Amino acid sequence: MKLPKKRLLKLYRDMFMIRQFEDVIEQYAANGTIPGFVHLSTGQEACQAGVVDCLKKTDYKFPDHRGHGAIALCGTDPKLVMAEIFGKNTGINHGRGGSMHINDLEYRNMGFNGIQGSTMVTGLGTAFASVYNNTDDVTAIFFGDGTLGEGTCHESMNMAATWNLPIVYCLLNNFYAISTHTDDVHPQKELKTWGEGYEVPSFRVDGNDIEAVVSATETAVERARKGEGPTLLEFVTYRWQGHFAGDPAAYRPDEEVEEWRKKCPLMRLKNILLEREGVPEKELEKIENEEKDHVMEMLKFSLESPEPDLEMATKYVYADRKVEVNNG
Amino acid sequence: MARKLSYGMAINEALHQVMEKDERVFVIGEDVAKMGGDFGITQGLWAKWPKRVKDTALSEAAIVGLSCGAAICGLKPVAEMMFADFAGVAFDQIVNNAAKLGYMFQGKTSCGLTLRMPQGAGIRCAYHHSSNVEAWFLNTPGLVIVCPSTPYEAKGLLTSAIKSNNPVIFLEHKKLYNVKGEVPEDYYELPLYEAVVEREGTDVTVVATQTMLQMANEAARTLEQEGISVEIVNPRTIFPYDKETLLNSVAKTSRLVLLQEGPKVGGWAAEFSAMVTEDAFEYLSAPIKRVTSKDTPVPFAPVLEDSVMPQKDDLLASCRDLVHYG
Repeated sequence: MKLPKKRLLKLYRDMFMIRQFEDVIEQYAANGTIPGFVHLSTGQEACQAGVVDCLKKTDYKFPDHRGHGAIALCGTDPKLVMAEIFGKNTGINHGRGGSMHINDLEYRNMGFNGIQGSTMVTGLGTAFASVYNNTDDVTAIFFGDGTLGEGTCHESMNMAATWNLPIVYCLLNNFYAISTHTDDVHPQKELKTWGEGYEVPSFRVDGNDIEAVVSATETAVERARKGEGPTLLEFVTYRWQGHFAGDPAAYRPDEEVEEWRKKCPLMRLKNILLEREGVPEKELEKIENEEKDHVMEMLKFSLESPEPDLEMATKYVYADRKVEVNNG
Repeated sequence: MARKLSYGMAINEALHQVMEKDERVFVIGEDVAKMGGDFGITQGLWAKWPKRVKDTALSEAAIVGLSCGAAICGLKPVAEMMFADFAGVAFDQIVNNAAKLGYMFQGKTSCGLTLRMPQGAGIRCAYHHSSNVEAWFLNTPGLVIVCPSTPYEAKGLLTSAIKSNNPVIFLEHKKLYNVKGEVPEDYYELPLYEAVVEREGTDVTVVATQTMLQMANEAARTLEQEGISVEIVNPRTIFPYDKETLLNSVAKTSRLVLLQEGPKVGGWAAEFSAMVTEDAFEYLSAPIKRVTSKDTPVPFAPVLEDSVMPQKDDLLASCRDLVHYG
């Protein structure tokens, strides 16, 4: 499906921003500024930007652990997302969650749960609430090929299919669960066949082709909004980096990585814009420069922001009572 | 004379009244709709509210996960684990999801779900249908663990649990389901996080809940004949627990016996004991005693099951020992 030029330009901006964003995160994770570990989504930008572009503000979005890109596009000011990854007080969650738990109820980014497969069943609840409250809000759940090994995937798909819940299952198949290749742990040649056992419409999509991602997602979202039930979309893609920033990913052949770098979703979209849509190179450069500046502003903001207030550690454990602070 | 109702039917009445009052409340679980629950606790609900009472596949993780997701959207799920032991299948959803969602969303929403589950031994069902599970959840801040001991408490604590915006693990003792007691017909709530003094005494405090409360009462009557005055404290909420009532009682009696169904190691009795030792050591005139189940799984054969349960003779001996200590 050909998308109009204007939308493609917007998506190019989104994807370029994510790429820059992750490059900065990688750099500041490597130099030790960002605590803990982060999972980079470089190479998977089309799946993230494409899916989010098909959703409205009140749709429920469950990003996966490799989800900075999707999260930064949900509507939250991305500098608050970056500051959260840096563990700062200005972070959208005041440094309580960090990279893996960024959430923003206002834009219905429902956050990731650090345990693979958990959002597969939490998402049942948001979808159930949409039906219960007679709204047309759709739930989109991002997850990876590795997650498919979790039993909750079965429970979720079975229940969603039986009750026609409005869910779009966005399976980002990048072929590796940390070091383990899908072929070593899953019998399906195409992971999308998993959904067919539940009589759920299931499609394998080139996840590096932004137009294919948007086309498939729009169909799935529309189906869910009309109350016709869930869809499984298997986006075939690749993460350029290791599992976490700093993982040398020695388990992957160099040639394979090189081959996928040639399928760069950003370059593919750029070529469409230049060649098919006749957008002048200068116009794209302008977008690129603007987004580079945008991300540098986020970085400056994150670096300059203060550490979290210590009370953030003990607040909100209960809705109606304070946690007793043990001073020994 | 006030109306009497069984513990199980008191819970059922609470569910009917809460669903009548609050349309955000829905019930979900295995066999909870058409059948009305494996123990009959949800009977009659589906006939009144077919869209709000949902039978599911055998999917404990999905039952709790769905409830978490619905709760953060503002609904009020009441989920049932057919047996508390089955919570193991949903453990991640309880301790990593339900317990942490309010914290994760920094209070902008909360995970106000109620997870009902029958626990406890004494019905000859062996180790996968007889566990006491308070301790499974005790170490997880964010959860509320409630243990009703009487029909009156079962109804009033359940209405409060459902109203609460916290995830409440509501542990029903299945051996109490048929026990009758006085229960007001109208809707009422009993406060969470508050213990009650069941019996006033001066020589030794016994803390007990659910079926153990009956044993404590029997022991108190026996000891009264011997001139030992027992005070009985029922915690009602196991966590976060009511320190004040417990400490006040210990300050008064200076002796403490914790009577707990369930293994001794790492149970709530251990936590209460540590807390009292830390906070009220100077009030104690004797060491704290724990009378608990044995540290084994619950066996099947009646003589075996009975042998691992807390023993009344041990309770009596513990109270006497403390009074005559030193």
